[in-house]
Amino acid sequence: MTDTQQPLLRVRDLVVNFGKGRHTVSAVAGVTFDIFEGETLGLVGESGCGKSTTGKALMRIIEPTSGTVELDNVDITALKKRTLRGARTRMQMIFQDPISSLNPRRRVKDIVAEPLDCWFRHADNRDAVVSDLLNKVGIDPSVYGNRYPRQFSGGQCQRISIARSLAMRPKMLICDEMVSALDVSVQAQILNLLEDLKAQYGLTLLFIAHDLAVVKNVSDRVAVMYLGKICELGPSDVLYDSPAHPYTKFLLGAALEADPDSPIHGDVLQGEPPSPMNPPSGCRFRTRCPNATEKCAAEEPLAREIAPGHQVSCHYPLAITRK
Amino acid sequence: MSTEPEKLLVVEDLTTTFATPGGPLPAVGGISFNINKNETLGIVGESGSGKTVLSRTIMGLQPRTNVTVTGSVLLNGHQIVGASENEKRKYWGIDVAMVFQDPMTSLNPVMRIGKQIDESLRVRLGMSREAAKARAIELLELVGIPSPERRYSAYPGQLSGGMRQRVVIAIALACSPKLLMADEPTTGLDVTIQAQILNLIDELKERLHMSVILVTHDLGVVATRTSRIIVMYAGRIVEIGDTREVFTNHRMPYTRALLESSPKVTNPSHTRLIAIPGRPPNLMKLSAGCSFAPRCAYATERCHQERPELQSSGAPGHFFACWNPLPASQGAPTS
Repeated sequence: MTDTQQPLLRVRDLVVNFGKGRHTVSAVAGVTFDIFEGETLGLVGESGCGKSTTGKALMRIIEPTSGTVELDNVDITALKKRTLRGARTRMQMIFQDPISSLNPRRRVKDIVAEPLDCWFRHADNRDAVVSDLLNKVGIDPSVYGNRYPRQFSGGQCQRISIARSLAMRPKMLICDEMVSALDVSVQAQILNLLEDLKAQYGLTLLFIAHDLAVVKNVSDRVAVMYLGKICELGPSDVLYDSPAHPYTKFLLGAALEADPDSPIHGDVLQGEPPSPMNPPSGCRFRTRCPNATEKCAAEEPLAREIAPGHQVSCHYPLAITRK
Repeated sequence: MSTEPEKLLVVEDLTTTFATPGGPLPAVGGISFNINKNETLGIVGESGSGKTVLSRTIMGLQPRTNVTVTGSVLLNGHQIVGASENEKRKYWGIDVAMVFQDPMTSLNPVMRIGKQIDESLRVRLGMSREAAKARAIELLELVGIPSPERRYSAYPGQLSGGMRQRVVIAIALACSPKLLMADEPTTGLDVTIQAQILNLIDELKERLHMSVILVTHDLGVVATRTSRIIVMYAGRIVEIGDTREVFTNHRMPYTRALLESSPKVTNPSHTRLIAIPGRPPNLMKLSAGCSFAPRCAYATERCHQERPELQSSGAPGHFFACWNPLPASQGAPTS
């Protein structure tokens, strides 16, 4: 069987535009990727590159302008409202701010039970299911079940969000900057918890974050976004060891290591990302790219595979140096 | 001339306690350190460790009510603790200046950026309007803002986050301070912009012969940019020393735990992180012992009863506060 080769999520030419006419901002400008069952795809990029919009468009929290999103061969973008609700139970999302994503006026056990109530699931043993979920994320339901979100720290609130997202037994989780508001010591707890639950529940993850080290830690494959497009996608160890897109190389070079012997890179990427309202012609990175030529301005580089599973959108990919 | 480096800032037994409805909150609990001229010192800690309150207390920026500050902050010979607003105003900008965390909110949104730079030049240095404008444009150029003449009359809302942080730095540098305090100057900025801003601070420090205090939660930021670092936990210094010494030969278990719990780009994916159990303590309910003891793998009875004071590790300038320190040879991170 080739069921490992069958993608669970298939995204094709996803476009999200905000505004109309002259003021159109193309936040996501044609994104294509697959996520296979049981894997974690990391999505990194700087702020404004469209990574969060991509995540939200997959859930249709933001309606995609065009393109298709297939979850288990069902095209989410074509569903009517009622069937979309049903499809969403199989794909859940965890948001950045753990405190504001929980209803401040509801008790923890009710927050976790809400998805079950909406779908009349486990009506007879609801409390047992909720207790089990809270135990799984490391929150003692007998002590904390009746408390309100404000009585918890950010890390604990994120644990509650995770419990809520697992209530429907989803196949897929979209984690949008889920640890960026947490301190490193708590961040490590949550990342470890996520890895444990992924194995336990057989989850497939889309992990969106700006922190390169965090993304590498959890991901099997990583996609790098710049100004609404994916510029490189590949297995995480390969992509971090030998980036093929100049932008990926700069991004990795700017990441700071907690090591006094790590070199300070002199060749820092200059300038700032251009406005998505008026993106450059051809390759979107060409205005900041040291290797850009006229071809980059004239012709948009398409994604091409330079090694198995490693694709890059660049006319002049960097030489692959295998370690 | 003595060989002893000149001390620009001497902090002694500084405490900052906030009066809250729930009782006194000791945000900074007895801190002593000093900074030499032309040195970059890093202060690292998690949120709530007191690093921001410490840097604001050194500036003399604490609120007027409900706060008690004791101890001494000698900045270039001036005592900051207990100084009146008028006295402090004489030091601000000239002896010490601050770059705040959030470049979005630390600028006045309805005032042209040029005017915001002019302000301190005209008030503090008594420059004429024309001279101040010329100097402001020079400063904008110094911090790497393209076409400074045009940007002089821009509003903060017209600039990106990175550009705004450059403007904030230009304001801080206006009166050529001897000490630049940067409180999380790159938090909230993208990595590529972060690298630009940190390089800029480095370069300006050399050019203008300043001392810099870099306050951050990110060990990566201080690793290569500072000569010494202070690690704070629950309002106190738990380890202080040369950056390299602290990174490679730390003795305090908290320092090691902090280093081990942060994911590294160089590790293969799915590397299990060594998380610190629990969470930082409530500063209002600190125990008599070591604040880190409840989360520490090496804690003994004594740690819960008695607070360890800073002790020398043997290496010059390296101190740590721990009853059961890591052995000197095994201090290096395992990963």
